[in-house]
Amino acid sequence: MESEDDFDMQDANESADDDFYSGGEDDAVAGAYTMDSDDADVADYEFIDNDSDDSDDLASHRHQQNYTVLSEADIRQRQEDDITRISTVLSISKVAAAILLRYYKWSVSKVHDEWFADEEKVRKAVGLLEKPVIKFPDGREMTCGICFDSYTCDRLHAATCGHPFCDSCWAGYIGTAINDGPGCLMLRCPDPSCAAAVGQDMMNELASDEDKEKHSRYFVRSYVEDNRKTKWCPAPGCDYAVDFIVGSGSYDVTCRCSYGFCWNCTEEAHRPVDCSTVAKWILKNSAESENMNWILANSKPCPKCKRPIEKNQGCMHITCTPPCKFEFCWLCLGAWSDHGERTGGFYACNRYETAKQEGVYDEAEKRREMAKNSLERYTHYYERWATNQSSRQKALADLQQMQTVHLEKLSDIQCQPESQLKFITEAWLQIVECRRVLKWTYAYGFYLPEHEHAKRQFFEYLQGEAESGLERLHQCAEKELQVYLNAEGPSKDFNEFRTKLAGLTSVTRNYFENLVRALENGLSDVDAHGACSRTGSSKTLGGASSKGRGGRSKGSTSRSSVPNRNTDDSGHWSCEYCTFANIKIATVCAMCQQRR
Amino acid sequence: MANSNLPRRIIKETQRLLSEPAPGISASPSEDNMRYFNVMILGPTQSPYEGGVFKLELFLPEEYPMAAPKVRFLTKIYHPNIDKLGRICLDILKDKWSPALQIRTVLLSIQALLSAPNPDDPLSENIAKHWKTNEAEAVETAKEWTRLYASGA
Repeated sequence: MESEDDFDMQDANESADDDFYSGGEDDAVAGAYTMDSDDADVADYEFIDNDSDDSDDLASHRHQQNYTVLSEADIRQRQEDDITRISTVLSISKVAAAILLRYYKWSVSKVHDEWFADEEKVRKAVGLLEKPVIKFPDGREMTCGICFDSYTCDRLHAATCGHPFCDSCWAGYIGTAINDGPGCLMLRCPDPSCAAAVGQDMMNELASDEDKEKHSRYFVRSYVEDNRKTKWCPAPGCDYAVDFIVGSGSYDVTCRCSYGFCWNCTEEAHRPVDCSTVAKWILKNSAESENMNWILANSKPCPKCKRPIEKNQGCMHITCTPPCKFEFCWLCLGAWSDHGERTGGFYACNRYETAKQEGVYDEAEKRREMAKNSLERYTHYYERWATNQSSRQKALADLQQMQTVHLEKLSDIQCQPESQLKFITEAWLQIVECRRVLKWTYAYGFYLPEHEHAKRQFFEYLQGEAESGLERLHQCAEKELQVYLNAEGPSKDFNEFRTKLAGLTSVTRNYFENLVRALENGLSDVDAHGACSRTGSSKTLGGASSKGRGGRSKGSTSRSSVPNRNTDDSGHWSCEYCTFANIKIATVCAMCQQRR
Repeated sequence: MANSNLPRRIIKETQRLLSEPAPGISASPSEDNMRYFNVMILGPTQSPYEGGVFKLELFLPEEYPMAAPKVRFLTKIYHPNIDKLGRICLDILKDKWSPALQIRTVLLSIQALLSAPNPDDPLSENIAKHWKTNEAEAVETAKEWTRLYASGA
C-alpha cells in the first residue's frame, strides 16, 4: 500500500492478500458485478466516462432519485401551489384553502376526499363559516368584547363569524397566540361560543410586523412538520427540507448541505444497516460506552491474570486478589519484587516515568490485552465503528481544505483548469461515503449472529476487502496527490495520476455499492448455496480461492454469472484486473496496462 | 402605584361585579391592589357543598385579558377537580381561555364545577378515585368537609 505503482496489477498479483482489485479470473470486483448482473453493464458504461466530468451524473441515473431537497423558497412555492389548487377546485378563498389544508396536514387528496364527502361537516370542524352568525355593525358605535371600549365600526374587525373586536385587542389576541407557538395556525374567534377560524388575511391586517414574521415561520414549518412526506434535514443550522416518496426503497438521502441522513429515523445515513439496528446500536453505545469508558479510565488489567483492577485507595503496591495474588506496581505494571528505593519507592515509579517518556506504554496495546471479558467483542466493533467515524470526520475536513485551498493551488501548479480537477473532489466525496458505510458495517457485524459461521466469514471477507480497497483510495487521494501539490511546475505524469485516482474512485464506488446491496440482502447468497459449499464458480465476490484464501471465500457466489462478460454489447471489454472498460480495439488496458 | 394604569376593562368589570353581582358570588378588589380580588362562592343547592361559603382568591396578571386570571380556593374543599392547595382544574383557566371571557364568567364556571364534579379529568387523583368507586361515600365526605371548613363561621 505504500508505493504508487500499487495499482500496477503485476505487482499486485504478488501481494494479493491486500489487493482486492487483483486476482486474475477470480477478480473480486468482477465478481461484485455479477452479484447483480442487471447493473453490470451500466457499471461498465460508467467506466467509459471515467475521464470526463459527468461520470457522477451517470452514476446517479442508476438509482432513481426518490426524494427532493427543498429550500425555504421551494417549500413556500409548493405550499402556495397547493393552496391555489384547493382554492380553485373548491371555489373557496385562498385564506380558507390554507386553513383547510393545514387542518388536513397539507394533504391535497385528503382535503378533496373530506370536502366532497361532507362539506358541511368539514366547514364546521375547520371553522369555515359560510355566512356570519351575527351581522357586523355598520355605521354605529359598538363595544369591543375584550376591552369594553366603544369604537366606530371602522376600528373594529371580525372573523367570518362577525363577532366584533377592536383592532388593538385583535393585535393583542393574535400576538399572544403567535407567541404561544404553532397553535396560532389554528386560531379561532375570541368569542368562547364561536369556532370561526382566524385566517392569514386577519393576521396580515392586524398583527405587528414582528408577529407576522413569526407567524410566517410557523406557517412554512407546518408545511414540513405536519406533512407526512416531508422532514427537515437534521443537520445543525441547515434550513433545507427533504420531500420523500414513501415506499420507494432506500431511506438514505443527502441534503443539499451535504449531510446524509436516513429519512425514516433521521439518524445519519446508515445503509446497509436498518433503522432498528441503528437505534439498538446507538442505545447500546450510550449505555455501554459509559461502562467501558469507566473501566478503561479507572482500571488496569492485572499484568498476570488480566482481570481489571480498580485502584480505589492506597499506594502503588498492588496485590491482585486470590488466586492470582500477583504483586505489582500500579504505574509500570512491573513485578513489585523489582521495585525498591532506587525505583522511587512506594509513591512513585521512576521506571514508569522513564518508560513513559520513551513511549513504551501503548494505550491501544493495553486495551487489547485487557479485553478478556464480556466487553471484548463489543469493544472490538465499537472501536472500529468509532475509528471510521473519526476517519470520516477527518476526510470531510480534508475535503473542505481541498476545495477551499488545495485545488486552486494545484490548478496553478499543474496548469489545469479547476473544472478538470473535479475528479479529486469526487475521490474525497467517495472516501467520505465509504467511511460511513464501513462504519456501519461494524454495527452490522456486531449483530450478525455468532453461529452463522459461513455468513460471518463471508461478511468479514467482504469487509476486509472493502477496508483495504478504501485504504488504497485514501492513500492515493492523500499521499500521492501531495507530490503534485508540492511540485514546482506541471508534472508530466499528472494525467496518469488523474486516470488512476478516477479509476480507483470508480472501482471503490462499485465495490461499496455492491457491498451495501449484499448486506442489505442479509448476505442471502450464502443461504442460497449452503453454509460451507465451496463453489466452483470463479466469478464470485469472494472467489479468490486460488490465492490460498479459500477458507475465507467459501459460500460466496453470484446469482447469475454472465458468461464471457468481458465484452459487452457495445464492444467494450472490461479489464480482468481492474475492471476498466476499454475500447474494443485496445489490446492493453488503459488503466492498468495489463494485456487483454 | 400599581393601580394607576389599570386598564379600563378591569375598572368596568370591577364596577359591574360590584353593582350587579352574580347570584351566589361576590368578588371585591383588594384595597391596595386592584388586580387582586377576594371572592366568595356559595355552595350550589343540591350539591354536597350546599350551605358552605367558599373563599377564593383571584388575580389578574399583567397580560389580562390576553391571559387568564389566576384563581385558587382558600377554603379546604373535597372535590375531584380541586387539589389540596386549592388549585382548580378548569379548561377556561388554561388552554381554553379567551379574552372575551370575564371574571364573572370564570366564577360562574367554578360555581358550575361545584355542581358537577368531573372525576374523569381529575386534579386530585385520590378524591377522583373515591368519587368513581364509591360516589355516595365521596359525597358524604364532601358534605362533611363543607360542614367542617366552609360553614362560614
